[in-house]
Amino acid sequence: MKRSLRFWTRYTWESMAVLLGAMAALAVISLLGADREQMADFAAQLPYLLCASAIFGMMMINTGAQTLYIPLLLSMGETRRNVLLGFRYYQALILAVTIGLCGLIWLLVPGELSSLGLRSLPFILCVLVVVSSMGSIMGTLFVRWKWLGTLIIILLCGGAGGLIGITSATALNGGFSAAEVVKLAGYLVKTPWWLVLIALGTLAADVLFQWVLLRRREVKL
Amino acid sequence: MSLTCQHITKAYGGREVLRDISLTLEPGRIYGLIGRNGAGKTTLLSILTAQNPATGGTVSLDGQPVWENRKSLEKLCFSRELTANAESGLAAMKVKEYLRIASIYYPGWDKEMEKRLVELFQLNTKKKLAKLSKGMLSMVTIIVAMCSKAPYTILDEPVAGLDVVAREQFYKLLLEEYTETGRTFVVSTHIIEEASDILEEVIVLHEGKLLLMEETQALLDRVRHVSGKAEEVDAATAGLELHHTETVGRSKGVTVFLQPGQSVDETRDVSVQPVSLQRAFVALCGEEERHEA
Repeated sequence: MKRSLRFWTRYTWESMAVLLGAMAALAVISLLGADREQMADFAAQLPYLLCASAIFGMMMINTGAQTLYIPLLLSMGETRRNVLLGFRYYQALILAVTIGLCGLIWLLVPGELSSLGLRSLPFILCVLVVVSSMGSIMGTLFVRWKWLGTLIIILLCGGAGGLIGITSATALNGGFSAAEVVKLAGYLVKTPWWLVLIALGTLAADVLFQWVLLRRREVKL
Repeated sequence: MSLTCQHITKAYGGREVLRDISLTLEPGRIYGLIGRNGAGKTTLLSILTAQNPATGGTVSLDGQPVWENRKSLEKLCFSRELTANAESGLAAMKVKEYLRIASIYYPGWDKEMEKRLVELFQLNTKKKLAKLSKGMLSMVTIIVAMCSKAPYTILDEPVAGLDVVAREQFYKLLLEEYTETGRTFVVSTHIIEEASDILEEVIVLHEGKLLLMEETQALLDRVRHVSGKAEEVDAATAGLELHHTETVGRSKGVTVFLQPGQSVDETRDVSVQPVSLQRAFVALCGEEERHEA
């Protein structure tokens, strides 16, 4: 298990670099046409951009991990059980780092938006759990049925393109005013019970589904 | 310590690709696994290393099951033939990244040897796997196999695409490593003639069945090619195990597999010649009879 932890920890940092890169790109786009007031509150908005990057990034990264790294590790003598546990460790670590970074930024940047942001962390966590598990499920499906994988990649690329498009269009139209951002952030403060259930359900489905396909999977590189 | 499989079968849908295979790989030997395309070589090797579940049968190392057993798996390395084409997830991975992951997962990984072999094969580790030629991909699999230091190391088509110089380097390297460490190597290859000098024992698979497992020299000692006039050859080889008969006009050639106590009747007007491992393999697995006018 030690080797598994070593591998997945390193993969977490690589994945985080991708997510932070995507966040930086979205931040640059968001700054297009931003006025002074929006600039002042910009630091507190960064965690939302990080979450937006994580939503699509984690789906893509998890799909990639399923198709590339899991067969590779099995080919190098890792047990299926350790692969399953190692991947869960990776998912947990990347969620913890993302949530931790969001929390840290909001703690360091005082203001109403930060205060709302801190209170919305459970909501964000639930959404990221759903997204992360969905990415993993899609990767598992991809390995089993290649045609589905192509469809998934088209949808993900479309989604990521849409996100960039919306961000750009919003920025070019003057962006959200500080009051609007606060209003939007306010919706996330309460975490509905059904979202928690969906998060737990998706996570359980991911683990179960992955194990069912992994336990008798033939390694192909 | 020995790697044993018993009554292994593997079926995909209704198609059986391995049929009741039982064999034991003893420590400190170099085995050659040979068979025609589709004979089931890679499937057998992947089952031996728990990378493919068998439909039936068991695989054990030192009496312990290999499946989902980290302690057993640590002693095995199956360096697979890499195909880093566009469909493969490996395409975008760099050589150094591939080797780094291998260094994490093989407990005995030899970093010094890795450096030495990368230099020997003049491999650019910054290149992506997709950018490597077939020969270079083979070099990567050889490096992983050698540096893993796994007591049981399996190489699937390690010399595929390698030029003659690199193939010589590989055979030399394999022998050096074998002499120094006494590791067990299983080499699956189609280039039988070249490899025959280093293979201590050969395993022949044919259409999913274990046709033969025998010491190379013992096998070569009992296989003969008998040629001459057809009636003389028939008389000289009567009652013997014959394979791969060739007839050209009134002349005939046949490969004979002698059992203990048997011999070719050399009082007949026939020529009796020893055969190479490749010839013996062709006789076993090739077309049974050939006639030419």
